[in-house]
Amino acid sequence: MIRITSARLAAVAAGAALAAVAATAGGAAAHGAAGPVKIGISLSLSGDFSDSGKAARRGYNLWAKIVNAHGGLLGRKVQLLVRDDTSSPTQARTNYESFITKDHVDLVFGPFSTLLSAPSAVIANRYGYAFVEPAGGGPAVFQEKLHNVFFTQPAPVLQSGDVFARFLLSLPRSQRPKTAAYPSLDDPFASPIADRVRGILQRAGVKTRYKTIYPSETTDMTPIVQKVASKHPDAVIGGTQNGDAYAQVKAMVQLKFSPKFLFLTNGPNDPAEFPSKVGARNVNGIFSTGDWFPQERSPGNAAFVKAYLKTYGGSRFTIDPTSAEAYAAGQVIQTVTRKLHSLDNKKIIAKLHTGSWPTVEGVLRWNSIGEPQGSDLLVEWIHGRLYPVFPKSVALHKPLVPKPGWGK
Amino acid sequence: MHEVVQALILGLLTGGVYALMASGLTLVFGIMRVINVAQGALVILAAYLSYTLFSHFHVDPFLSILVVTPAMFVLGVAVQLLFVRTLRGPDASELSLLVTWALALGIEGVLSVVFKTTYRATNPSYADHSWDILGYRVSVVRVLAFGASALLLGLLSLLLTRTRFGRSVRATVQNPTAATLLGVDADRVRTLSFGLGVSMAAAAGAVYGVLYPFNPGSHYDLISRLLSIVVLGGLGSLGGAVVAALAMGSIEAVVAVEISPTWAAFSFFVVLIAFLLVRPQGIFGLRERTL
Amino acid sequence: MSRATAAGLLRGGAFAAIGIAFPFVVHAAWIVNIGVLALMYAALATAWNLFSGYTGYISLGQAAFFGLGAYTLAIAFEHFGVGSGYKPFWALPLVGAGVALASLPIAWIALRTRHMTFAIVTLTLLFVVQQLAFNLRSLTHGSSGLMLPTPSFGIDNYDRPFYLAMLALLLVALGLCWLVLRSKLGLMLLAIREDEEKARGLGIRVTGAKLVAWWLSIAVTAMVGGVWAYYLTFIYPEPAVDPLVMIGAVLMTFLGGRGTLWGPTIGALVLVPAQQYLLTRWGASQWYLVGYAAVFMIVLLVLPRGILPSLRDGLVRLRERRRTRRRGVMRREAAA
Repeated sequence: MIRITSARLAAVAAGAALAAVAATAGGAAAHGAAGPVKIGISLSLSGDFSDSGKAARRGYNLWAKIVNAHGGLLGRKVQLLVRDDTSSPTQARTNYESFITKDHVDLVFGPFSTLLSAPSAVIANRYGYAFVEPAGGGPAVFQEKLHNVFFTQPAPVLQSGDVFARFLLSLPRSQRPKTAAYPSLDDPFASPIADRVRGILQRAGVKTRYKTIYPSETTDMTPIVQKVASKHPDAVIGGTQNGDAYAQVKAMVQLKFSPKFLFLTNGPNDPAEFPSKVGARNVNGIFSTGDWFPQERSPGNAAFVKAYLKTYGGSRFTIDPTSAEAYAAGQVIQTVTRKLHSLDNKKIIAKLHTGSWPTVEGVLRWNSIGEPQGSDLLVEWIHGRLYPVFPKSVALHKPLVPKPGWGK
Repeated sequence: MHEVVQALILGLLTGGVYALMASGLTLVFGIMRVINVAQGALVILAAYLSYTLFSHFHVDPFLSILVVTPAMFVLGVAVQLLFVRTLRGPDASELSLLVTWALALGIEGVLSVVFKTTYRATNPSYADHSWDILGYRVSVVRVLAFGASALLLGLLSLLLTRTRFGRSVRATVQNPTAATLLGVDADRVRTLSFGLGVSMAAAAGAVYGVLYPFNPGSHYDLISRLLSIVVLGGLGSLGGAVVAALAMGSIEAVVAVEISPTWAAFSFFVVLIAFLLVRPQGIFGLRERTL
Repeated sequence: MSRATAAGLLRGGAFAAIGIAFPFVVHAAWIVNIGVLALMYAALATAWNLFSGYTGYISLGQAAFFGLGAYTLAIAFEHFGVGSGYKPFWALPLVGAGVALASLPIAWIALRTRHMTFAIVTLTLLFVVQQLAFNLRSLTHGSSGLMLPTPSFGIDNYDRPFYLAMLALLLVALGLCWLVLRSKLGLMLLAIREDEEKARGLGIRVTGAKLVAWWLSIAVTAMVGGVWAYYLTFIYPEPAVDPLVMIGAVLMTFLGGRGTLWGPTIGALVLVPAQQYLLTRWGASQWYLVGYAAVFMIVLLVLPRGILPSLRDGLVRLRERRRTRRRGVMRREAAA
């Protein structure tokens, strides 16, 4: 382990030295050019991540449109170069190398998903580019300890369940759950989150009655939920993605098992889909977490939501948070280039490691490897609507505990 | 013990639906020596059709079988005439494997453009109901799904044993050359059977959408299971496919509860490999000359 | 040395020389990178051809061994610290030999079944290996993926070592194919492809011949997987065991010509740059998968024998036509 770490450090150091050379070269080109500011973005427009990829594209496009309407970056128009990576990391890596060495873009923004961001960040780092990225918040991205990464969400994905643990521990002792079960999806953005919550709760004395990890192709949740129900836990805390979260809730309804607390990391946080998937009568009292909500009072959010609805239509509850995350990446670059009067990637990287940066995702701050230092929001379904309920500073409704039974 | 029995009930009910999907696959192989790798994708396509009928026109998913199945029958016939039939020569079987794979990719591609990649599920009002039988919880949709599958499999077996068409099919399976000499129009039998095989996928797909959330990529997992089922059952054997599907359902359900859900699917593959070690031709497969 | 052998060696030597010179002449990193991908697929396709093209047994599970190679190298990185320069490349032969050896028992079981069953069993291997990658969390980190150390190559030639490694593997695969075709083993394989029962009847050790070809094919595939893992620096189960990678290699083999020496390479050198061009050109389209399926379908239905054999046939036909025309002219002249 140690040997690898030191090898990595050496590699990073070498990379940084080379990055300096590349950055000065790139910077010179940028200053001399009078054309548009070119920004390269690899996105998954086909394949597994394509829905989110397209959501990210909407956010990026909206940002570019607004910036250009206000005179662009440093007086130059912004031009986004978007290329499909077919949800493949090999193609994402290829796209970034091509943006940098063929199209000679001024800046790059991140793709969708940690799984594509991790190899892409390495390439960006190698060529000295700042890697402001909206959707790569998993440990793989930070594990490489790259100095050029900036994740534009309030907290690393792994910590997104911490807010629920903090909420439970904020309750009076009599109301807290005494036992918990943790059925989680084998997904880098699901089970590790539940594991962290379990760690925190166990230390606080909440007993673990059951934990299991199921694979992503598990379409039948009944046996797992049955097992959970047989242990009679007070709280069920699932690291989930949307599909399996719906299946878990459906199985619980079928088995008439309603725990006092139900927290699922993804699924219930989709205000448009969740009620239609599990039945509108079954949503109340279910907790989830998120980095962004349409009603949030974060910098520029009201304007973002308004512009989004004007451009793409729909209701504010159908806006994918990924669009907001991508928009936030744009906001960060806009602010930092205005402050620096420069598109120099080296200066951008140095500057972003200092101070705090207002975005629709909240005011962001990063440590030296790009992990944001904030906290996600806890949301809950109350009277058929989704509200941020914790931390108190951002809550729009009082939390509802314990969870009412199904159909109430 | 209670847990295991409960898992077994669930596994057998699930296995029934898989049996229906696999029946089409094994039937087509028996007649044409063609493995339709697109069977999984066709199941998902049918699930989307049924989902659309339900969400736009409020057609009950089980009733939608009556609409989806004939439509997909026509599609199956078209696929056979356009793609599969054109393959000739000694490699035709192997080529058909790749052609149907290309078809599966095409279906996945079209579905992900039309329906996006978010998971969908057909949710009729009774989706959450369940019965309590002797202390075991049995979900209504699963019983309905099993019932529908059993009914269709019964109809299929009647069609194969009691009708003229069925006799020509069985004759073609046993000896294509002799069947042709006896006046069976082999081309027609093949085309109709391919359509029939796809119809089975269609009916199962409508049911699948009620049981499981699905997205365009779901067909990879589905086809790997279906292929394992038909190989375990013996390629071309309808009865074998049914037995193997029920075995798969119960093995996976029991392993999921007793060991871990992550090893459930794996356990079935291990059973398959171990079984092939003893009986390379599968449960009911005939020991044929290597083709 | 026969004339054909000399011509073959010359062709191979020229290909190797141009291949090696390419990244030293062309400095644009993005072009070298496309070269890496094209050579990767060429090596995979040639390796697939080495077994499936020559024996007629279609293996749909090649991607499983690509993934095993990738994971073996990545795990070796984590546990033994293989280093981050050129050293990992030297570990490759070990990775290839090991993975191929481990695959032999499964191959033995699968090869006892009929052709179609074999294809299906190899397909299920894809899912077995992917499941192992997901489930053996302590080794593979499951779905979170394994990060490899960043390669320490400079930015002026960042992709060149990967390019050369892939090229070396392609040359090895081509060399093996060439040797196999010129040996008794090649004759045995072709006999199996024509009629396995008859070959067995003639006393050919059918199983042994198939297993040797399998071992060679898998060894190359696993080594390509290892280079890919190092090139990407981060692997996780889905792309490491990706049915699309396998289908890509098969498509290229069919396009170039199954059972020919250069067919798979030609297929890869045509398709990979074409695919990259299309992605750049229509990069924002969502019809990628549909287009891919359409190309595959067209190749299978229109050119099932591939570019090389079709080209050869075309040449022969052209020559014949010329000959008959000439004969016709002569006949007419005689009649006059």
